[in-house]
Formats: sequence, structure tokens, C-alpha cells
Amino acid sequence: MLRTYGPYALRRIGQAIVVVLLAYLFTFFVISILPGDPITSTLRNPENGFTEEDIARIVSYYGLDQPFIVQLVNSLGRFLVGDFGLSLRSNLPVSQLILDALGSTLQLAFAALLVAVVLAVGIAYGTQFLPARYGQGLLRSLPSLFLSVPNFVIGLLLIHLFAFGLGLFSMIDTETPWGTFFAAVALGIPVSAQLAEVLIANLDHESGQEYISVARSRGLRQSKLFLRHLVKPSSLPAVTVLALMVGELLGGALITESIFGRVGIGTLVEGAVASQDLPVLQAVVSLAALVFVTVNLLADLAYPLLDPRVQLGGEPRARALSPAADQEIRSDLQEEVSIV
Amino acid sequence: MTGAALTEKPRAFARTRVIPTTAPVTVIFSFVVVVIVLAWSLAPGLFAQQDPTKGDPADKFLPPSLAHLLGTDQLGRDQFARVVFGAQSSVTSALVAVVIGVVVGGLIGLLAGFLGSWTDVVLARFVDVLLAIPAFLLAVVIVSSLGFQTINAAIATGVSAVAVFARVMRAEVIKVRGSVFVESAYLQGGSSLHILFRHVLPNASRSLIPLAVLQFGLSILVIASLAFLGYGDPPPASDWGLLISSGKDYPRSPWLVVWPAIVTILTVLSINRISRWLRKSS
Repeated sequence: MLRTYGPYALRRIGQAIVVVLLAYLFTFFVISILPGDPITSTLRNPENGFTEEDIARIVSYYGLDQPFIVQLVNSLGRFLVGDFGLSLRSNLPVSQLILDALGSTLQLAFAALLVAVVLAVGIAYGTQFLPARYGQGLLRSLPSLFLSVPNFVIGLLLIHLFAFGLGLFSMIDTETPWGTFFAAVALGIPVSAQLAEVLIANLDHESGQEYISVARSRGLRQSKLFLRHLVKPSSLPAVTVLALMVGELLGGALITESIFGRVGIGTLVEGAVASQDLPVLQAVVSLAALVFVTVNLLADLAYPLLDPRVQLGGEPRARALSPAADQEIRSDLQEEVSIV
Repeated sequence: MTGAALTEKPRAFARTRVIPTTAPVTVIFSFVVVVIVLAWSLAPGLFAQQDPTKGDPADKFLPPSLAHLLGTDQLGRDQFARVVFGAQSSVTSALVAVVIGVVVGGLIGLLAGFLGSWTDVVLARFVDVLLAIPAFLLAVVIVSSLGFQTINAAIATGVSAVAVFARVMRAEVIKVRGSVFVESAYLQGGSSLHILFRHVLPNASRSLIPLAVLQFGLSILVIASLAFLGYGDPPPASDWGLLISSGKDYPRSPWLVVWPAIVTILTVLSINRISRWLRKSS
């Protein structure tokens, strides 16, 4: 396996780099198909208070007087060396704006990931323990309910109950531990649903396997059986799905931060959309793609090392179908590509 | 065996398995919900007698009653009428999004899977790019680029769904292409186009149906989220996301948030249930 791993890793890394660069170009293209010339209209907007010299500087910096293709190449060149340009709204470097906002969003995203994992594990393993008649049906339908509730509704409900009702956190300063916790719950619930569906499908699959009956007839204790034969095999595909959820956390942060009044990447995007601050949008979207591709690259690289059954070559493991795409289609794909 | 028998079989197979004949109670209930909401979106005037855009300021913030089933909002407009008329744009734009996703994504997947070689490689990277950008962020960027209107929100949601359909379609096309009946159609001298449209497309697109239904529910949520952030039609439009967004400013009148939210959740839940049932039974 190790002989094939090197070329596999190199090919995956190469693909990842190509995808990130293409994502940058794609975003640039989408942003540039705007009707009119938003950069100029923002610059000329008297509210922004740019002087003629500022405008001339920005126009020459972005090469706005150059043809589209030249602008594109220049912009890509700057991206490669980590220069995201200047914000059109505040005239500050975009990288500084992003760095300032990143901490809050990372905190929220990690907390949400934690909430999602705890919830999903609770739901999924709960379905294996509860008697079939009581509770199990309810637990099994929870993921599907979670996926049907808009996450802003969850956020509003939590705020109503815990900020206005119980007064656990204040909406004036939400970046307190409780504020972060409830924002993370709002963001984590839809993610937990998808994770729980994967876990439940895998647990059901594993518990139907013959080696479970064999182990049971050998007199293995319930707890040991559970840990060794159910938890372990079912957790690997869950890691894959977790990597795919990164994109959803980043996208969902936009709404969650807006509702909870947090200052992070999401609110940065919201502000950039409102003021047509294109360099900020371009940078955030490209970085989001970079994060997503990197996390999934790491998962792809780790996968064959963790599961010796994975055959290298051909397609890498299944990718996300959609934020809420259904697990069964996904696990079908996974079986198709990953297990020998 | 004759050629006719070989080509007929898979088609009959496809036809019988798409629409099952029996359904559990929850699925029937789900269909009832979806039919009601679709009826609202087709002919809102039949279901809500009051004007969704004009209200009597004297009647503002009335709690739900017989005269106003879901109460009234800050301008005295009937909330029920606003929800029913909101279905029109919420549901129609979700349909537009799904159609874009299915047609564009399906076409990409079909070409990639059927032509293979470099076409597949190029299209696969394009799909990777669409997947790499978080779907909601992509939708936000596209809608901000096209302009804040519900129809643009629908287009943006559709584009962000293209990758899903492309991947599934490609996998299905590859599966069908390798099947015995396609091989025998080739051996009988069938042209590529004939095989593509007669065998591969009908069989492969079958598996897109449950996914399209699922995406319909998801699109309702995404479009509601975009409307919630104010990226859809401005008021007095009454997209469900916008209703919730404007209702949240009046915590003393919880019915302004609760009812649009319940309608949205019930609709999406029902659609997801139907999708699950379609997939299980096909």
C-alpha cells in the first residue's frame, strides 16, 4: 500500500491546488459579471469620502483601467502571494479585516462542531439502546426534523427562550460564554443532523453484520461488543462527513452571526454585500474554498492510513452531495468507491 | 432474444419503479401538506380573501382570531393572507432553483459520464470548484452580483445545487453505461446519440427524482435564509423568510414569527419525507 500511497498523495495535493486556484477564478468571474461597475460606483459614492487621489490610487492598484483578463491575472498573482488588496469601504487591507474577524468565527465554528458531534453521537447511539417501541422512533426522526428547520428560526427561538426569557445572555454583548454556546447550538443543530444520519446508517449496517452475532454468541459483554464492533467501524465514515461539514459551518456562520449580533466573518460578508465591497467578498470566498479543500485533502490523505481496506487509485472517497444531501445516497457512493 | 426485448425491459423496469402504489400514513399526510402549499402558490387568491399588502392600521398586532386566522402584523395586514401569498414566491422560486440544478447539473453529469476521458476530467474539476465554495456563501455572492431580487435568489440557489446533481448523474450514467443492455444496443449498431437518449438518459435520470425532491425542500430553506437576510424582494413582498425577519422585531406578537416558521418547517419536513419514501421504494 505504501508504494501506491506516495503517488496518490501527490495527485490529491495537485488536484487540491488546482481546485483552489479555479475557485478563485470562478469567484472573480461571478463577481465581475455584475451589471455596471460597482468598484467605480462605490468609489464615487460621496458617503465613502474618497479623494480623487485615493480613487486614482485604487484604480491603478486594481488595474481597473486594464482589460478584464489583465485584471484577472494580476489579481490571481496577488492572491498567490497572500495579498488580498484593500477594502473599498474602509480602505484597510482586507487581510487585516479578515484576521480581526476570524477569531470570533473560529470560536463559534469549533463550538458548533463540538455541539454537533455531541448531539449526533447522542442521537445515533441512543437509537441502538432505546427499546424499539419507545423513544427510538422519535430519536430516528430527529435528524430529519433538524434538517427541516431554517437555522435562523432555531437562533430566534434560542434567543427568545434564553436571552429574553431566562436572561442567560444579553443581546447587547453576545460574545459571552452563554452567548457563544447558544449561537453554537443554532449553528450546530443542522450539522448534527447530517452527522447523526451517517452514524445511524452505519450503526444499523454494522449491527446487522454476522460478526456481531458471532461475537455475541461467544459471550462478549454488551459494552465491549458495542465499543469494539459498533463504535469503531461506524466512526470512520463519520470523520469523512465531518470534514465535509466545514463548508456548511462557514456558510451557516453568516446567518448565525447576523442573528446573534456577533462580529465575525459572517457579518464581514454581510457588510461587504451591502456595500459591494468586492475585494472582501473575493477574499472570504476564496479562503473558505481553501479551508474546505484543505480539510478534505487531509481527510483524504488520512483515510487510507486509517482504514486498510481502502483501495487507492480511481476516485477519492465520496464528496459532499449538498449541505443537506441525504446520507443514504452518500453512503451508497462511499461503498462504491472506498471499500474493496 | 430479440433486440426489442432487450431494449424494452429496462424501460418497463424504470417505469414501474418510479411511482410506488402504496404509502405509509405519514407520507400521505406529507402529500396533503405539499398539495395545499402548491395550491396556495398557484392560486393564493382562492385561499386568502384579504389583501396581503393593504391593512387597516386600526387592526394592527391583533392576535389570531376567526377574522384573522394568524393575526395581523404591524400595519394591520392579515398574516394568513401574507403567508399564503408568500407561498407564491417562496415555492415558485424553489422550483426554479431545482430546475436549474437538475438541468445544468444533469447535463454536466451526463456529458462527463458518457463522454469520459478529458471531458470528464475538466467537468470534474469544475464540479469540485462548485463543491469547494460553501453553498450558502456561493448563493450569497451570486445574488449580490445579480441584484437583490427573489428570482436572483432562486438562480443563486440553483447554481449552488448544480454540483450535487452533476455528481449523482455522472455516477448513474457510468453505472448504466456499463450495463448489459447498453452493451447489446452498441453491438446491434446503435449510434451513440440513440443510446444516450434512449437508454442512458431515461435510466440514469430516474435516480435524480428523489434527489430533486430533497433539493426542493432544501431550496425553500436557502431562499428563506436569503430573504431573511434581505437579499430577496423587498417588502411588501411576503416571502416566508422575510415574514420571519420582519416579525422578529415585534417580540410581543409571537404569531408573526411562529406561523410563517411552522408553515416553512411543515412544508420542508413533508417534502423531505416524500423524498425519503421515493428513494426507499425505488
